[in-house]
Amino acid sequence: MICFFLRAVQYTEKLHRSSGKRLFLPRVVVSKACLTTEPRWRWGLHERRTVRPGCPLGVPRRTVWTQGRGLQRAKEDGSKQVSVHSQRAETAVSTAQKVKEAGRDFTYLIVVLVGVTITGSLFYVIFKELFSSSSPNKIYGKALEKCRSHPEVVSVFGEPVKGYGEATSRGRRQHVSFVEYVKDGLKHVRVKFYIQGSEPGKRGTVHSEVKENPESGEYEFRYIFVELEAYPKRTIIIEDNRS
Amino acid sequence: MEEYAREPCPWRIVDDCGGAFTMGTIGGGVFQAIKGFRNSPVGVSHRLRGSLTAVKTRAPQLGGSFAVWGGLFSMIDCSLVQVRGKEDPWNSITSGALTGAVLAARNGPVAMVGSAAMGGILLALIEGAGILLTRFASAQFPNGPQFAEDPSQLPAAPLPPSPFGDYRQYQ
Repeated sequence: MICFFLRAVQYTEKLHRSSGKRLFLPRVVVSKACLTTEPRWRWGLHERRTVRPGCPLGVPRRTVWTQGRGLQRAKEDGSKQVSVHSQRAETAVSTAQKVKEAGRDFTYLIVVLVGVTITGSLFYVIFKELFSSSSPNKIYGKALEKCRSHPEVVSVFGEPVKGYGEATSRGRRQHVSFVEYVKDGLKHVRVKFYIQGSEPGKRGTVHSEVKENPESGEYEFRYIFVELEAYPKRTIIIEDNRS
Repeated sequence: MEEYAREPCPWRIVDDCGGAFTMGTIGGGVFQAIKGFRNSPVGVSHRLRGSLTAVKTRAPQLGGSFAVWGGLFSMIDCSLVQVRGKEDPWNSITSGALTGAVLAARNGPVAMVGSAAMGGILLALIEGAGILLTRFASAQFPNGPQFAEDPSQLPAAPLPPSPFGDYRQYQ
């Protein structure tokens, strides 16, 4: 923020090079503060300083008293100059230029809309995945919680029990495999993930299915069971609400 | 195959760090080559030398900062997986936010919050893109609801609770 103020001050200074000496002293003090907080702006300030070779660091004290009036005058002249410039500039804009500008604005608008659509769709997907109660991720989370609190699972696998999904080539295992289908007009989602405990070598596959409750719209578990990979294949039924 | 049974997490950090470094170096190299080419005096030899200098100076810097970002992100991700005990998109988003916060720590708490928000949003977008891609890729192979008719397709399927208890344990 300080640097923007500085730039505004420097811009009005440029219109009056002779009065620049008066404003140089406070600028130096403020710019030093700027340098310590925002190293990015150092480039801008450095360039500005080298642009003005005629301003020495030693400011003559006798001209300090005119600082306020000089700044005001600089601003007035600046605004006057800007208004004159705009009057002259408006007559120079022709129809062809207006059409070109409109075309350019239109393409920019299209680009912005496309970007906003893509970003919006990505956000929608991620929100649905994380917050909707029917997303496979939520089902996986709830099923994992139920598995963790089941005493037989804990005794077989050992605490703590961790769960994961399918492995991608990079090694991340966030994707949980699921199948969605409609049966008797109600939506079912079937989810499959893997669990592993602190017991070495013991791995299990958890199969779970939820069914949509027609009255409340909530999803309820139909069954959850854990299938152990070791031979003999044992199955631990955690929940069975199929009837 | 035992190598797939190996835990990906500690090795994933090195993987991600190296991958990010490569991305940063190559991408930065291309950009800096073009930029150095354009910001040089007229003459092909000058321009080529300028572009080479720019690549030599800036590309490793960009690669290094990408590598730091990737390595820190992966470390926090693996730590969250270890702590939470499950692998989730939430881990990625939180890791992105924490990475942004840690890397902006020099600029004070307000900058940390802003950087964390940016990191979290960026990771959320990447996760959303990943989920979209996976759904589209899997929708291309219509499996058909062959499970719909028979929910107990496995031999070790759940049976309705019988009064005899779980007799399958005595096989």
